Amino acid sequence: MQKQIKQLIDRIKSKGATYVDARWYPVEETNELVMINGNLKEASASRQSGLGVRVLYKGAWGFSASSDLNDLSAIFDKAFDNARIAAERVTFPVRLAEKDALQAKFESPCKINPFEVSLAEKVAFLQAMDTKMNQEGVFQRSGQLQFVRKQIVFVDSEGSEIEKTITEVFTELEVAGLDSNGMMHSRKFRPGRIAATRGWESIDSAYYTENAERIVSEMKQVIAADDCPKDDRSVILLPGIMFLQTHETIGHALELDRILGYELAFAGGSFVTLDDFGKLRYGSTKLTARANATEPNSPGSFGFDDDGVPAQDNLLIDKGLLVGAITGRQMVEEANAKARRPIFHGSSGANRATSFYRVPIERMTNINIDYGTDGTLEDIVAHTEKGIILDGDKSWSIGSNREQFHFGTEIGWLVEDGKITQVVKNSTYKGDTVKFWNSLSAVGDQSTWEMKWVNNCGKGQPNQIMQLGHGVPVCRFDNVRIGE
Amino acid sequence: MKEKILETLSELRAYAVEKGYDIELVYHEEDSYLMRFANSAISLNTNEHIIRLDITANEDRKRASYNLITDLSHMDEMKHGIDIAAEMVKHAQPLSYSPTIPVYTETFIDESGFDASLAQISNEERLAYFNKVAGSLETEDLRLSGIFSNGANTYAITNTRSQHSLYMKTSDAQVSTVLAHTKLKWEVTAEQSAQNKTELDPLALNRELALLVHHYENDEAIQLPLGTYDIVMGSAALADFLTYFKYIAFDGGLMKRGFSFMREENIGQKVFSDKFTLVDDTNDLRTFPLKRDFNGMVRKPYTIYEKGVFKGFVWSQDDADEFGAKATGHSVPHYSLSMHGGDQDVATLEDLLKMPRDNDILYFPFLHYAGIVNPPKGIITGSSRFGALLLKKDGTVQVPYNYRLTISMFDLFGDKVQWMSKQTTAYNLSSSYGSRNPMATVVPNFMRINGLEISHSNSSY
Repeated sequence: MQKQIKQLIDRIKSKGATYVDARWYPVEETNELVMINGNLKEASASRQSGLGVRVLYKGAWGFSASSDLNDLSAIFDKAFDNARIAAERVTFPVRLAEKDALQAKFESPCKINPFEVSLAEKVAFLQAMDTKMNQEGVFQRSGQLQFVRKQIVFVDSEGSEIEKTITEVFTELEVAGLDSNGMMHSRKFRPGRIAATRGWESIDSAYYTENAERIVSEMKQVIAADDCPKDDRSVILLPGIMFLQTHETIGHALELDRILGYELAFAGGSFVTLDDFGKLRYGSTKLTARANATEPNSPGSFGFDDDGVPAQDNLLIDKGLLVGAITGRQMVEEANAKARRPIFHGSSGANRATSFYRVPIERMTNINIDYGTDGTLEDIVAHTEKGIILDGDKSWSIGSNREQFHFGTEIGWLVEDGKITQVVKNSTYKGDTVKFWNSLSAVGDQSTWEMKWVNNCGKGQPNQIMQLGHGVPVCRFDNVRIGE
Repeated sequence: MKEKILETLSELRAYAVEKGYDIELVYHEEDSYLMRFANSAISLNTNEHIIRLDITANEDRKRASYNLITDLSHMDEMKHGIDIAAEMVKHAQPLSYSPTIPVYTETFIDESGFDASLAQISNEERLAYFNKVAGSLETEDLRLSGIFSNGANTYAITNTRSQHSLYMKTSDAQVSTVLAHTKLKWEVTAEQSAQNKTELDPLALNRELALLVHHYENDEAIQLPLGTYDIVMGSAALADFLTYFKYIAFDGGLMKRGFSFMREENIGQKVFSDKFTLVDDTNDLRTFPLKRDFNGMVRKPYTIYEKGVFKGFVWSQDDADEFGAKATGHSVPHYSLSMHGGDQDVATLEDLLKMPRDNDILYFPFLHYAGIVNPPKGIITGSSRFGALLLKKDGTVQVPYNYRLTISMFDLFGDKVQWMSKQTTAYNLSSSYGSRNPMATVVPNFMRINGLEISHSNSSY
């Protein structure tokens, strides 16, 4: 197969293409189980294979994909034809940043292949969690297990040949209850990466049991709680909401394709301009953010991106100063040319596609916040005069240029004079991105840092979802509007 | 092709019957084309031809499914998929209720929503369309973005309990065009949905964009003071609000699970403005209707709200089975929602701008990235985007930076509604996460609601 792909790449090159690559998925399989109130509502599996071909011709991209591999040549021809037409409307001819031609393999760390674990064992795990969550006051309980394993073979016209095998495990427990007004409130547990690996061995039953009990207890406190006050307070974000704050207002805002206007028809742009790199005070000096695709145990780590560029650890924000972006090969060349200065030195290895039938675009890797020196959660609370601790993503809405946001959380704990006083429900907060990050006044130490994951980040047209990570500590921001 | 698909399903069904399996088969084929623009260039030109087979195995109260991306020539692979689903179901856990397995009493074939000339529109035609939309509007600073997505969508369904099959094929196109100012960062949009090629009208989009560009280039840009405004929603915003409304205002299963602000006792009650009527209208081809649901139920127009009165929840078969309700033909990937128009003759933005104003009017054309803040209270939040205007009482126009609405559905469709356009538009809401699923909601072109509060206002674009 690879030999045939290479021959077809050569043939398309000989027709005038400046670059060709192909991603062949010999197999991608998934397995998903969903149990709701003891009912195994979903026990599904899937398998797919196919080929996606990308052709660069006279500065324009064409792409074609098919699950029918009986006529590979037709897929390559179609991609070339799509590029040929696209070349009739070019304003900035696509150039690709330099990279090394690599022959490499990557396999994500996995001790126990979840696809070799029996369905009965997986169902038994969900049943045990369901039993644990089946308590008085719990109106609805759900448990989900999702497993993904994919093989990807990447071949390009520059001589790269890369094979990847990636295994992922995603799990979630959630409970919901009704308050005295019949309003539903929920609390979920989506574990951070608790093991160095990503296979079935990462499911630690004792840890899940402990957290199943915790979310039931916290949900019961929420349904008995008063509403969150409308107020201006310090907000202390736990990793269960801090990851989303980072995702929406740092991650998406720093995708270079958004900055350059390539997502204006759908996902939106960014308030960040090319002129801001090296100048914009994005946050307080306590803020250091990085795109680190080398964390071993996160879906934001994939060995090599779909441009064939190795995973990297790059600074995005250094002590508050904007210094980097999330980039692929195409965008860095365009950005440097438009800025008329070398802002970026090569691709940061962040161009990824969700499947063989989608084209790679700039995606977050692991967008992390470095832990700080302000101690434990308890230390931060003790040094907060008037605040609220927030956790659990419930709703999120962000401006099209990521300039402002509104988040709802599952639970809030009011803090007065360094002490937690009460739980509140319907807790929300909002703000302007740059003002908010500049109000960052405390960053928790390593004990507060958790590696969270996202398995449904949406972007692009045709639409794509992506899996990625956020390693984040507990953080405190001052003078934030809550309760609206 | 249709015959080959149905023959393949028939062979797979025969295989399952011979093995003694209780199997449901859903075949989905998409032939998708998308030309994407950014920065006035074609940033991507793509096509995907994908065939999916969903196999659900049943055994007493147990259920398991297996999904394949495959090809019609891969008969062995598909049969193996059936074996896998049949093996999986043995290890599944029984449900607490008995799922209904349909028996199709007749073969149903519907291609009334398919227009080959739209599904197979060429690369050259897509490019020519964009060029007509852009006209002379593009400049060094004003760049064109957008998509032209078109294709064909085919479902074919059968099971081992039925001798018959369902076959439904539609064509669709979704066009969105954006003109964005590279330095000032404002952006305006014009969009079109089509089920038939004759519905494509690039010059209409050009006119709409030209009008918005005129105002954005010439009128004063302002940060809106927070407060209460009389707001006119555009069709895009209305359709998007209805997408969220669908989840929290009339879905029976979600109501039972506590995610709805409507209760069973609300059935028959007047809960919204008498101007508000919402129908799942499967007769309207603009909504890419599926005239049978996946359980074989005939999908006739189904009134959900009539003159503000809540007529009843919609129930998928599985939710109906679980909660002891009667299914309403809503086991489908998308509904065909149609909100009736009113009595105001306001077809275009130009008409709206010409209307006499008794107050300042805030035009909210597009809802960006909304979130349901509190489902049981029907509260939703989202920002404006793409061409918001402040139509001043004195006849002048200002351009507000984007702002945020955090509102209750009762305010949106309740007694604060002053008027709706007579004219309606099919607004395309298709997404392509996963498989192609064309979807459009018919809404009045404009709707005025008085006294809504702005909860956040940007200080720049």
